[in-house]
Amino acid sequence: MTSTDLEIAQPYTGEKARLSRAYDYLILVLALFLFIGAFHLHVALTVGDWDFWVDWKDRQWWPLVTPLMMITFPAAVQAVLWTHFRLPLGATLCIACLLIGTWIARFFAYHLWNYFPINEVLPATMLPSALVLDAILMLSDSVTVTSIFGGMAFALLFYPSNWPIFAMFHVPVEYGGAQLTVADLFGFEYIRAGTPEYLRLIERGTLRTYGQVATPLSAFCSGLLCTLMYPAWWFIGKAFATTRFVQKI
Amino acid sequence: MLKTIKKFLGLLGLGACCLMLAPSGAAAHGEKALEPFIRMRTIQWYDVQWSREKLNVNDELVITGKFHVAEDWPRGVPKPDATYLNVSSPGPVFIRTERYLNGQSSVSSAALKLGGDYDFKIVLKARLPGRYHLHPFFNLHDAGAVMGPGHWFEVAGDPATFTNQVKTLNGDMIDMESYGLANGVAWHAFWIALGSAWLLWWVRRPLFLPRYKMLQLGQENALITPLDRKIAVLMLAGVPLFVFGAQAMTDRQYPNAIPLQAGMDQIEPLPAAVNGLVKLKVQRAEFNVPARSLTIVAQIHNASDQPLQIGEFATANVRFLNPGVGPSREGDKDTLIAPQGMSLDSADPIQPGETRTVRITATDSLWQRERLDGLIRDADSRLGGLLFLYDANGQRHIASVSTAIIPTFN
Ligand SMILES: [Cu+2]
Repeated sequence: MTSTDLEIAQPYTGEKARLSRAYDYLILVLALFLFIGAFHLHVALTVGDWDFWVDWKDRQWWPLVTPLMMITFPAAVQAVLWTHFRLPLGATLCIACLLIGTWIARFFAYHLWNYFPINEVLPATMLPSALVLDAILMLSDSVTVTSIFGGMAFALLFYPSNWPIFAMFHVPVEYGGAQLTVADLFGFEYIRAGTPEYLRLIERGTLRTYGQVATPLSAFCSGLLCTLMYPAWWFIGKAFATTRFVQKI
Repeated sequence: MLKTIKKFLGLLGLGACCLMLAPSGAAAHGEKALEPFIRMRTIQWYDVQWSREKLNVNDELVITGKFHVAEDWPRGVPKPDATYLNVSSPGPVFIRTERYLNGQSSVSSAALKLGGDYDFKIVLKARLPGRYHLHPFFNLHDAGAVMGPGHWFEVAGDPATFTNQVKTLNGDMIDMESYGLANGVAWHAFWIALGSAWLLWWVRRPLFLPRYKMLQLGQENALITPLDRKIAVLMLAGVPLFVFGAQAMTDRQYPNAIPLQAGMDQIEPLPAAVNGLVKLKVQRAEFNVPARSLTIVAQIHNASDQPLQIGEFATANVRFLNPGVGPSREGDKDTLIAPQGMSLDSADPIQPGETRTVRITATDSLWQRERLDGLIRDADSRLGGLLFLYDANGQRHIASVSTAIIPTFN
């Protein structure tokens, strides 16, 4: 695509175009900070420990709760950016902002201020899921289709996308007469006074019955829930995308 | 427009605050945070010792000690079915390399038995230079942290020299300080690059106002070009394909990967160390609030074959000593000791086989400084502790004390 292709479609030219571009940048920068702050807070408060610690990233709860809590803001922002601007980047934008915030927090708060090695607090990524979610919305132009297929894909892609990062932390170690993963060993060695081992919500619950296939099952459950979570947050996004309140100020 | 900016700036401030979100529980100790009855009647620590005070990076520090799990466990506190012997420190300035409960290596949580006696050993390795106050303590599920006695340590040296090599079951030596970091960062960088490319693909065009206007004019088809569609289709097919391919390759690379381990350690209590040959029954306990003095009238039966003298009463890490009885405390830097804190109505030893009613008084401002005097205002105003008795050879007997407590306000 050349730049002339883009210009053909533009309703504004000259000074108007320049001003509207300045407005674009203003909104983008503000949105960046807003999402970095708000989405990061939302994730830290809901699935914080699963995302913070390498020894919380289990086969059941982590792939169940993380996509469910991380599809929220993307759905809401997609609702605004797609409905009003036909911009298919809401999910990617949100997740990218989240990752910026997460990396800042991991490096400064966890590593520099609280001395944890960064590899113990590596965040998970949802960018592959977000890219697919944006693509599905753009190609289908439908909330229903995106809810069903996008929500499902968002959850199903989560564990496999992160496995290349975290598999090596599941290598077994013989330690203190027991078999541990390297991840478990981080939890034992690097003292966390506030989060004792028994608080870890991992490998517990009815899904245990399914043993080895717990992960796909968990991801599938998460997918089903995401198909419900997605439209719910789509409507939240829609409800907030109004100028009604601004006009009253 | 100005209003929109104002609104955004407000949200921006909020967002900035959110960024300050830091992990919890790093610096605070919380020694006195729990109600006195929980500190007195759950984990009763004694004989806690430290192998050294001054260390260099990579040096080992061994903390040993014993504790009795009170049989008079408070009703309002969940039973110790999931507990974790921890060390309070400002983050991982030390790493914990070994931990033993009753001589048994333990890396997970464990259940404790009421009335059980345990000893522990924690081996730490200095990681970062500094001056730190460490305590052994128990995280009790749904109850909180019951602190053991604390101590100051000084770590010197160069943090860069710290090493933590671990051998995996495959036989590889790994460096815990950097293991998996480069790989993790590379994967994040890869996806962030791809995500940024997608964002830039759109952001480089005129965005909000023109697109909104064209949508209003019904010209939305021009907003998504055929090339956009092609790229989206490519992404829709390519990303999952790549993700599952990378997953399969990772599986092949780490065929022995196991799930996170979530087992509990099974630890049996030691043969009774408390309430052995000495039996104690409290008849009345009074706490004189202004005098900061506890008086216990108790019937003590000595079933040992030696005369015994009462040497110490300990509760919530505060130790009231009967001067002259028991081992010398000279040079002990424990700040929670009241060296003259205990007095008795009779200094005569309790003879073998004798049952005697004794009046024990434990007086010190530590009651107030450690906020134990709040006990009388608790919903469960019972007291617990350990009474230490010694024979002439220094042999020690321990009896547990548990009693309702009556305040006197004079
Ligand atoms: Cu302290």
